[in-house]
Amino acid sequence: MLSESSPARPSPEAALALHQRLLDGDPVASSDLAGAYLDWLATWLTHVNPHDEPHMCNTAAEDAILGLIKRPEAYNPAKLGLEAYLRMAAKRDLQNLRSRERRHSQHRADLAAVELSPRAGKYLSDADEDPARIVERREEDMANATELAPRLEAARDGLSDEEAAALELLRQGKRETPPYAAALGITHLPLAEQRRQVKRVKDKLKKRLERAGGPHG
Amino acid sequence: MADRLEALARRVQSDPAFLAAALADYAHSEGLDERGLAAALGCLPGQLSRLRLCRRPRDEPTGQLRRDVEQIAARFGVRADVLAEAVRRSNALAALRRAGEPERGTLMAARDREDDVAPADNPSGEP
Repeated sequence: MLSESSPARPSPEAALALHQRLLDGDPVASSDLAGAYLDWLATWLTHVNPHDEPHMCNTAAEDAILGLIKRPEAYNPAKLGLEAYLRMAAKRDLQNLRSRERRHSQHRADLAAVELSPRAGKYLSDADEDPARIVERREEDMANATELAPRLEAARDGLSDEEAAALELLRQGKRETPPYAAALGITHLPLAEQRRQVKRVKDKLKKRLERAGGPHG
Repeated sequence: MADRLEALARRVQSDPAFLAAALADYAHSEGLDERGLAAALGCLPGQLSRLRLCRRPRDEPTGQLRRDVEQIAARFGVRADVLAEAVRRSNALAALRRAGEPERGTLMAARDREDDVAPADNPSGEP
């Protein structure tokens, strides 16, 4: 599999020489480093992190290679082999990417959840309103859990079990079709039909939430 | 393998530390697509990724640019004269871009100053 036997990777001695060429400013060394290690590193990272998106593993491998090209002095060959160093660097870069991705996902979920706020209509229709401020206000609103709970309860009244499950997904800020399709039990339908039905249910639930919020929200 | 190298080569195209940026400037100024650039350099399109991932040849000390260009050209079997022209042209474009920036800054600063000075604060009308 991953290739301790990969033909492209240099021997430890050749790796040392390659690192020295990077230090010396050899203009071809960066290309040789990428050519020798990028594919191996990305493949290894994808293999040991099967739950991460492959493109994230590729990016992390790129980051590790570029990091060494930009700062070859950061690597001390007396302490670690070049492959071990690159693996460590790539793992760290993948962790950083995950953290960044989590922050973005959270931000997206917050923005989506703003739609549930009874004040959202006002915020979103205000052209001068800063989206970050919208999220901030929504967080202030949500800090008081007692405010949302009765509305959810009221909105849930009369819903089928499937629709109630979809309401819970909406509350969590989920946007993608598949979890809703699963909750509604329509995954056997063609994708376009799933999307249509999910949209219809989401619209219905949002309207119920708005109504449950009352005129003063 | 080629895909990942190609993706990395694309990524560094906006990084002036890499030859990719110089080749992008050259291709743009000559109106060359991928095949055209490869043809001008005398290589196959498939070789461009590795070429782009080379460090940009250094300006200094004197003669270093020529040495770097020759080293890259010899390694990848591309035309050193075209490579050198690509780097020089890109360097010139970068210098022009740099020169343009302070000029815009100065103009903006001048405008700010003009706006800031109220007539009562500057009765003589001198700058």
